[in-house]
Amino acid sequence: MRPLDPVTSRQRVAYGLAFFVVFVALWSWATFGGHVSKVFLANPLTMVQEGVDLIVKQGFLFDIGMTIWRVVGGFVLAAIIAVPFGVLMGAYKPVEAFLEPFVSFARYLPASAFIPLLILWAGIGELQKLLVIFIGSVFQIILMIAVTVGTTRRDLVEAAYTLGASDRGIIRRVLLPSSAPEIAEILRLVLGWAWTYVIVAELIGSSSGIGHMITDSQALLNTGQIIFGIIVIGLIGLMSDFLFKAFNAWLFPWRLA
Amino acid sequence: MTILKIEQVSRTFPARHGNAPTRALEPTDLVIGNNDFVTILGPSGCGKSTLLRIVAGLDRPTGGRVVLDGREVTGPGADRGMVFQSYTLFPWLTVRENIAFGLRERGVPEAERNKIADAFIRQVGLSGFENHWPKQLSGGMQQRTAIARALANDPKILLLDEPFGALDNQTRALMQEMLLGIWERDQKTVLFVTHDIEEAIFLGSRVIVMSARPGRIKAEINVDLPHPRSYKIKTTPEFVQLKERLVEEIRTEALKVAEHA
Repeated sequence: MRPLDPVTSRQRVAYGLAFFVVFVALWSWATFGGHVSKVFLANPLTMVQEGVDLIVKQGFLFDIGMTIWRVVGGFVLAAIIAVPFGVLMGAYKPVEAFLEPFVSFARYLPASAFIPLLILWAGIGELQKLLVIFIGSVFQIILMIAVTVGTTRRDLVEAAYTLGASDRGIIRRVLLPSSAPEIAEILRLVLGWAWTYVIVAELIGSSSGIGHMITDSQALLNTGQIIFGIIVIGLIGLMSDFLFKAFNAWLFPWRLA
Repeated sequence: MTILKIEQVSRTFPARHGNAPTRALEPTDLVIGNNDFVTILGPSGCGKSTLLRIVAGLDRPTGGRVVLDGREVTGPGADRGMVFQSYTLFPWLTVRENIAFGLRERGVPEAERNKIADAFIRQVGLSGFENHWPKQLSGGMQQRTAIARALANDPKILLLDEPFGALDNQTRALMQEMLLGIWERDQKTVLFVTHDIEEAIFLGSRVIVMSARPGRIKAEINVDLPHPRSYKIKTTPEFVQLKERLVEEIRTEALKVAEHA
């Protein structure tokens, strides 16, 4: 091993998988070996059995579907509002001066702290779940996009002006396309965060979803189900990340050229 | 007819961190006639780029004004095409789309845009690269595209800010010949900023020598070398003589800068 020396893509996959092998081995050693009590931590085999039971008998796939729809719904809502605001803030300094202090403040408000208020305002239905995701994501997206758009290469903007671009042309044909890959990256990142909000939202006042299943299992001390639920979240996150990355690469071929 | 008049243009950068304001450019006068190829030569920090940016409308003069064809310059516009030292092609557009950028902004229909762009692609020797992204091009090819992009707009004057400064010597020499070839064929008004003495003589019909801080015009030298010029002219006695003279002029300025540094 030497600093910054690259690895082949085969090695990369092998090392990545090796970690999971080590992880499961340690887990098996701790549980099967009797080093940790069953009450606190289920062993891998029990976890798989519980998982199969969840999917086959308890309709867990419906819960997964509900959770995905909430994340995607709240996230899309947030993106629709946040992207235009972020772009405007990045492009126009007065808009930034007007909104930036509030957005920076709102960004630090924990979405989970709004849950009691949101239940009061929106009940315990789907709208409340979507709003938790929305509040958790919207300010983050606005701020990060504003920074990205605001740091567009000046020389590209100047070049466009000398080519006769109007102010609108600068936004449409320089700021937006030059920031677009970054904006897609920001959305990918924030979608990951939205996953943590959805579980919190489902822990309270919910009758479906992965988070709801986890609270139910907690009451029964079924650590196998809890771990299975967490792993499912991780896998879905990994898949959405992969899809997002592939989509971005397809959308912005000039970056990889 | 193109006449660019630079009238008493000066630029002072405001004081910062308790330092005195920087006088980048003393009041400067310069007239550039139709199809003139003027090179501005000076050491770094002499305000030559500042002057060019003011002509482009990217910077505002502290005093004086720039007039192009009787109209005062108040901001950047398509009538003054600019080529920068840094690579400023739009990375998300192909070579052809980059060259057609200004045309598209003016609402020229796509078929016509592509026809014009392709003509300029041929002119700068980039046939076969129409659909490449800027990232796939060498530095020299990127600057050729940038020149084509500025020319495709058919500007009244072409402004070049050390466009070949980041290129290696061989590429630079080829680019100079290419640019001069375009100028000799199509007759354009060109204002070209450089710190390379040979480049200034080889390309220019007139060389404006600028002095170091504060920047001002120190000398103006006519280059009466015949056109078309080939690279061979660089070894003729006339060329060498001009070079010797300019080396002296620039050296004193460079020394001044070094002493103050």
